[in-house]
Amino acid sequence: MSDTTVVLALLPVILIQLVLMIFALVDLIKNPKPNGPKWLWGVIIVVINIIGPILYFVIGRRNY
Amino acid sequence: MTQFRVLFQKEWRENVRNYKILWIPLVFILFAILEPVTQYFLPQLLDSLGNLPDGAVIEFPEPSPGEILANIIGQYQFIGLLVLILAYMGAVAGERRSGTATLLYVRPLSYGAYYMSKWVAANLIAVGSVLFGLLAGYYYTALFFGQVEIGSFLQFAGTYCLWIILVVTVILTASAWMPNGGLAAAVSFVLLLFMQLVDGLLGAYWTVSPFKVPSYAAQWLWAGPETGAYWWSVAITVFLIVAIAAFGIWMSKKNAAKVKV
Repeated sequence: MSDTTVVLALLPVILIQLVLMIFALVDLIKNPKPNGPKWLWGVIIVVINIIGPILYFVIGRRNY
Repeated sequence: MTQFRVLFQKEWRENVRNYKILWIPLVFILFAILEPVTQYFLPQLLDSLGNLPDGAVIEFPEPSPGEILANIIGQYQFIGLLVLILAYMGAVAGERRSGTATLLYVRPLSYGAYYMSKWVAANLIAVGSVLFGLLAGYYYTALFFGQVEIGSFLQFAGTYCLWIILVVTVILTASAWMPNGGLAAAVSFVLLLFMQLVDGLLGAYWTVSPFKVPSYAAQWLWAGPETGAYWWSVAITVFLIVAIAAFGIWMSKKNAAKVKV
């Protein structure tokens, strides 16, 4: 398998992480009252791979 | 039926607005892709990170495509279930807390339609996520390791989806039963993950159990499970889904009286 195919194969992994991060960040910016300090959630979403955005969607959004 | 449709629309809109329709499928797809990819790059990863002495040679047995797909389910059995529990623990309990429930419960509400609207919406997302995830995993496994026969893959995915429906039913019923989302999560955690562990430790003594459905699903990738034990487990799982859903409907009705304005 050549290098380009490997890169192409890995692209979706990075893409999915980016999409999760971007949606979480956009929602955080629009959210008037997240569950906890806003800057901290921003750091969590950007720094922690995969888990960060999930944590924000589950805990930070104050769904209920 | 009209009531179900209206409630289902509300449920669906809620799932779209809180991005569950986006992040749950993405997480399942991500974990399905990561499994074949890490398996494929494992030798190189160990090479660059492993601090091995020069000239050390490790021979890796090439994993079979079936093994990789079975490993994806292994990931789903912990991380996937955790994601589903976290996503749907508040489905009923959270509504009572936030006040949405008071708006619904003052109307002449059919609790059957109420519970089933949540059940259908949650299952559409959960089963859809698992199917998309497994398909992505199937594609990547075919790319890196070789193809699994499509027929056995479909049997494998279909059997696993039955288990996921049971999981979602347990979570929603726990949410209807318990006073808050945290307790609902704890109950689902014990019923699903802990019982699975118990079944894994003591399960050698019996062959028919709903907790064996995932491993029977994986066996479709090899020779296929023993037919008798397989169909009995499937039948018991279907029966449990119906029974637990009925209990959930009864509980959402009973606990409706406890809602404070």
